[in-house]
Amino acid sequence: MAPDPITLELYRHRFSGIAEEMGITLQRTSYSPNIKERLDFSCALFDGAGRLVAQAAHIPAHLGAMPDSVAAALAVFDHWQPGDVVILNDPYFGGSHLPDITLVSPVFLSELPDANTGESDKKNPEGRNAHASPPGPQFFAASRAHHADVGGMSPGSLPLSTELFQEGIIIPPLKLYEGGALAESLLELILRNVRTPDERRGDLAAQRAAHAVGDRRLHELASRHGSGELLAYASHLQEYSERLTRAAIRSWPDGRYSFEDPIESVVDGRTTHAPIRVTATVSRDSITFDFSGTCPSIYGSLNAPLSVTRSACYYVVRCLVGEDVPVNAGCFAPVLVDAPAGCLVNARPPAAVAGGNVETSQRITDAVFGALAQALPERVAAAGQGTMNNCTMGGEYADGSPWTYYETLGGGMGAHPQGNGFSGAHVHMSNTLNTPVEALEMAYPLRLTRYHLREGSGGRGRHRGGEGIVREYEILRPTTATILSERRAIAPWGLAGGAPAAPGRNLLIDTDGSEEELSSKVTRRLQPGQRLRIETPGGGGWGAGDGSEKDGR
Amino acid sequence: MPTTLVGIDVGGTFTDFALLRDGQLLAHKEATTPADQSQAILAGLSHLGVVTAAGGEAAVDAELVHGTTIATNALLERRGARTALLTTAGFADVIEIGRQNRPHLYALHQSRPHPLVPPDLRFEAAERLDFQGNVLTGLDEEALAGTASEIAAAAPQSLAVCFLHSFRNPHHERRAAQIVREACPRLAISLSSDILPEYREYERTATTVINAYLLPLVGSYLDHLTEALAEAAGRPAHNTGRQRGRVPIRVMQSNGGAIGAAQAASEPARLVLSGPAGGVVGAFRLAQLAGAADAQHGAAGSSTSQTATQVSRQGPRIITFDMGGTSTDVALCPGRIPRTTESEVAGLPLRLPIIDIHTVGAGGGSLARVDAGGGLRVGPESAGAVPGPVCYARGGQQPTVTDANLVLGRLDASQFLGGRGAMALDLAAAEASLADLGAALGGLSSHEAALGVVRVANARMERALRRVSVERGHDPRTFTLVPFGGAGPLHACDLADALGIPRILLPPSPGVLSALGLLIADVVHESSRALLLEASSLVDDPAPLQESAAALERRVKAVLAAEGVHAPALDASLDLRYRGQSYELSVPLALPAPSPAQASHAVQRAIEAFHAAHEARYGYAMLSETVESVAVRLRATGSGAQLNLPQEPLGPPDPDAARVTAKPVWFGPDGPTTTSCYDRVRLRPGHRFEGPAIVFQFDTTTVVGPGWSASIDERHNLLLARAGG
Repeated sequence: MAPDPITLELYRHRFSGIAEEMGITLQRTSYSPNIKERLDFSCALFDGAGRLVAQAAHIPAHLGAMPDSVAAALAVFDHWQPGDVVILNDPYFGGSHLPDITLVSPVFLSELPDANTGESDKKNPEGRNAHASPPGPQFFAASRAHHADVGGMSPGSLPLSTELFQEGIIIPPLKLYEGGALAESLLELILRNVRTPDERRGDLAAQRAAHAVGDRRLHELASRHGSGELLAYASHLQEYSERLTRAAIRSWPDGRYSFEDPIESVVDGRTTHAPIRVTATVSRDSITFDFSGTCPSIYGSLNAPLSVTRSACYYVVRCLVGEDVPVNAGCFAPVLVDAPAGCLVNARPPAAVAGGNVETSQRITDAVFGALAQALPERVAAAGQGTMNNCTMGGEYADGSPWTYYETLGGGMGAHPQGNGFSGAHVHMSNTLNTPVEALEMAYPLRLTRYHLREGSGGRGRHRGGEGIVREYEILRPTTATILSERRAIAPWGLAGGAPAAPGRNLLIDTDGSEEELSSKVTRRLQPGQRLRIETPGGGGWGAGDGSEKDGR
Repeated sequence: MPTTLVGIDVGGTFTDFALLRDGQLLAHKEATTPADQSQAILAGLSHLGVVTAAGGEAAVDAELVHGTTIATNALLERRGARTALLTTAGFADVIEIGRQNRPHLYALHQSRPHPLVPPDLRFEAAERLDFQGNVLTGLDEEALAGTASEIAAAAPQSLAVCFLHSFRNPHHERRAAQIVREACPRLAISLSSDILPEYREYERTATTVINAYLLPLVGSYLDHLTEALAEAAGRPAHNTGRQRGRVPIRVMQSNGGAIGAAQAASEPARLVLSGPAGGVVGAFRLAQLAGAADAQHGAAGSSTSQTATQVSRQGPRIITFDMGGTSTDVALCPGRIPRTTESEVAGLPLRLPIIDIHTVGAGGGSLARVDAGGGLRVGPESAGAVPGPVCYARGGQQPTVTDANLVLGRLDASQFLGGRGAMALDLAAAEASLADLGAALGGLSSHEAALGVVRVANARMERALRRVSVERGHDPRTFTLVPFGGAGPLHACDLADALGIPRILLPPSPGVLSALGLLIADVVHESSRALLLEASSLVDDPAPLQESAAALERRVKAVLAAEGVHAPALDASLDLRYRGQSYELSVPLALPAPSPAQASHAVQRAIEAFHAAHEARYGYAMLSETVESVAVRLRATGSGAQLNLPQEPLGPPDPDAARVTAKPVWFGPDGPTTTSCYDRVRLRPGHRFEGPAIVFQFDTTTVVGPGWSASIDERHNLLLARAGG
């Protein structure tokens, strides 16, 4: 049946409306600040074959990341019943990094106690064959949320680890609910392995509540329009997105474009470069990203499972194709991602991956943009800051109770052919909010001594790269600080003759005013009166010359 | 109180007037004069006989309430004052960094909305408070005196001062203002501890900067208007702020309450949503009257009477639906007018109370097209006023929602804007454009394409309505839809069907509903103070609350006294949250509470209300979690005019005398239905008819869908109810 273009547009709104409403439910009912306030979650609908139908994602790191989760659940379980919920976080089997816990639950529209049942009876005059396997679910609802802690060697579960087992509890695809009944021993096991079990219990309940909304809305649609129409238009929408994506790629010049951009690997305080190499091949209406030539997995937490690498590639394609295309399996069909097993961007167990999602994903994005800048010089921007500047601090309050605090810092966006880069913002794979100075000082034994743009850090050029940020914390009580950052040695690149940006700096300022430069990945014990200053990288410049206009700064 | 009240709503195209005198309501429209809005205002007042254009003996014997877009437009178009900012040393860029997020996730070429203060107008003062307001570093007055001469040299028109933690202790900000004023005596200065004494430095700074940015412009506009009015009325103008208040003009604030021009000019950040606020207030009041009338009916035992609105204990439960040419505003009123302090205007956060209105960029002018994937898209691009829809015959080529409605027979070429020939619509051109669209959609007829355009446009509206209802835990089936604006009544039945809304209330003049809302608006002033404490500590010792409440009471009462309101109603509320959350819920607080025991009890009840509100909004409450108070708010209200519109007893139900014609109208793909068309002016109270039907009137067209029945109530409201609903 050919789709009716009007009904197609209606279903685009209906399915994405459901995903959005699931997201709002999750945000409203969750406990983790990462979910509630930093919007580090996504909700999605899949068809019975596990192909994405609609997704509401607020940060790009989750784009197209969940199909692997549903595929993993489908690989493990071939029997589904209403009320099932599968839980997983294994980065090597459907997950990304351990704090991202994904739930997957089936939606059975045929269970509706309405006319549909009668109709299916008519089609099977023999009645149900008791020996045949029951029909599978028509849809899946799924959600992924960044939980504040999943155990492991440090609070917040984003440690400077060297193998996966240090990063927290690893959950392969398992049924947390079976037919609506909670697998209590599984939940108890998970909760015993995390630092804040009550919060985890609440966040998992919030994810399940989001699925209930998705389930209910799909049933409402099915009772109004019939489950046949829903399924047909889910697949029409996928074809529609694929057509739009292919049409966009067809307008790009065919060819092979290669680029290399390294990660800063730190072992025992020594920094070495670990290159990520990508070759993008545009061939008619499809594109392949081949990461052959990328270095092997490294000793440290910056390895990326292939699903993270795919998300980064999908993000770049979406930036270039346009936001208008509904996000579903069709968008990703023309995009092929290939990386040698065991390399930095297709890590194998038990390589540590905590930082892969937050840092390496940014470098993969830079590398892919660097390749495509050769094909689309009038579209692609220079490199942005290329890091999230993860900063985790913790210690004890005066009354002996513990505190921990995690934040990420923005920097410069790359200049682009049309103008200057944005200053002091999160780039590419992240877009989370900062914590207000006044809120931070109220809650933690920290005081900010400066928080401003880092003048001159943006790369010069016809258009200037955005400026980074300077944020300086004064320590008021003994504090353990961990910094996981990138672009401290290698500057974000410029384009078309534009200059590179200033790389970032991590500084420890002692009570006597002496400064010590820290490496990009470091854990230190700090004493009252000492100050930690993070200077984030700017964005690269675009075009030769030195634009004196101040339009973007 | 003067016997005549005039509401004046200045919009992009028209300036609408609603005049109420001796219970009679008069409506009038003038073309807006964008260069000087006061010209159209004076022309309209002169037309209505409120002032004589020639001056002379006539005095202004009316009270005027003004809804203005001047603040909004100045922000959107970045036409405000050259504004400087003075901050704590080390924090000058807070206004630019914002919350570190970027507005568009996937746009490679994006620019930050201009932060209103360029880098070279950001200045720093050496001073620092801790989070409790204690001085860590005293204000370096000598250095600041030097900075003040730099500020003077940069020649800004306005200055915002925002120091860290100043909501705890305003002294550094106040002293800094004194020092700067010595160097720049004419500079307008806005202090963050006055404008928004609440925590979160970026939001406080941005709100204060918005105020500073608007201050000179809004001030001179209101001065000019006041003088022009005084002159027209033959009275000498007094050019000082205090006396400006004597001219009886009030201005609508974003919170739905009006305030005198002088006060309005001093806090222009409160006027940013002045325009759309009038419509919600007007819709709410009319629904209240209609609901009250209906309740009387019920008491009289009239079993056939339709229930106009679901009236909760406090007020009607309505969803307002204001659909214009380029955008649509919706607001859900669950028995009260909803307010929020979480809004964003022109890319900047504005944390002052405003009516909670959700806007989508879709309206009658939204353009329809077929995209590269073969899908039908409607909007967000709009035909705007120029060229406008194809049927306006002003050069538009691409079909709009309005063209689709025309082709379907829902709009009438000869009845548009009252059918006075002022604007005949080109049906043939609209049909041709939709036939082209149909062909591009794979061989659909022009009618099928038009139905598609309307359905897709409705899908976007439906999402907006869902967002304010279902997604916030409200069941739309328990609400009445109140459509207005040029296009709202055309789409209301379709949307009500999609959401299961059982009733629709159409006020007599949907086109001047906003102006009507203005003239009946209450006089309101609100103020707030940070109160960052564990709520339970306030139960034990309510002294900090009592102290804050007393200060707020003095402040709001003084403002209302200047408006001639001496015994305002006071409503207090407390912003509460669970520890660790970063969003608050505002719950009512029973003040005044003269004794500590009463105050303590009031806090206890507010905590209970918070748990309940959290449960209702987010689906859970954490009874054992620590509750924190964040801010206390106080609102003083002087009642606005009573709206005693004339009532006419219900007459016989037969509407035949109002029937203009019957014509084919498309409601589905199977062909047109012969549909009766009525003239709204000739419909009398008591008339009843069944859908499908079309009702024409000067400023809008109402579609009564199949399955809906219509009746006219005593106040000439058109009530629609779904048959069997």
